[in-house]
Amino acid sequence: MNEVTRHEAQANVPARERRSRAMRPPVDIYEENDALFVVADMPGVTREGLNVEVDGNLLSIEGEIRIDMPEGLTATYAEAQAQRYERRFTLSHETDTAAIEARLENGVLHLRLPRKERHRSRRIEIQAA
Amino acid sequence: MFGDLKRFDNGIGSGFDWFRPWLDEIFQEGAADIRSVPRGSFPMINVGRTDDAVRVYVLAAGLAQDDLDISVQDNVLTLRGRRDALPGENEGDRKRPCFRRERFDGEFVRAISLPEGIDVERAEARCHDGVFEIHLPKREELKPRRIDIQAA
Repeated sequence: MNEVTRHEAQANVPARERRSRAMRPPVDIYEENDALFVVADMPGVTREGLNVEVDGNLLSIEGEIRIDMPEGLTATYAEAQAQRYERRFTLSHETDTAAIEARLENGVLHLRLPRKERHRSRRIEIQAA
Repeated sequence: MFGDLKRFDNGIGSGFDWFRPWLDEIFQEGAADIRSVPRGSFPMINVGRTDDAVRVYVLAAGLAQDDLDISVQDNVLTLRGRRDALPGENEGDRKRPCFRRERFDGEFVRAISLPEGIDVERAEARCHDGVFEIHLPKREELKPRRIDIQAA
């Protein structure tokens, strides 16, 4: 890959270049009390830089890392190599997409995806014969 | 700044030559540091430098101000802490179904070598949104200095 052309491309179409470079945040997903919970590590993302969207059955999580850096800072070592996070999941039909709740705390995103009322599990009592 | 870092992807590339001197200073001969870790470790660390300081960015999601222990000894910066991926998980008698467990869970220690000449006394750190910024100023006498040319 040619460094020079890549940098030119970045200058001309910054939006597209930024979109193509994203880190995949690690997630934990578990189920509890008729809801699915998604927990994602997105350090550096503020509320303003976070974008959680549901389109049909596609859940997209995007976040932009906002860190103030001084002018003239030269990178010497980097494990985080992008300015944004991005990850997508397909939801199953029983998710109540209108009732999804999101919370961001110290760079950890917590999503609660409740199930639709009629899909909630019901305990079936076994009656004595 | 992170956008510029993609050239470090594989270490050796066209952008590597100018970067080599800095790498040598930190890692000596460009070999892997004895304390280096595989990709995806927790927390992620970025290091940058300006003329008068070294800045370390620790991307530690879920950690608040008091959860990270930062120390410097003999030019080695050590970061210690503990992160419970899902606090309160073991409470209650019923185990909940879990579909993915990708996030780091437990105690961690990470250490990175710093260049010579850091003034540890003036080091400071702050944190926001799961990112810790450690500011390590260089000692006064090691800052670059402009030399005026005097008329003969």
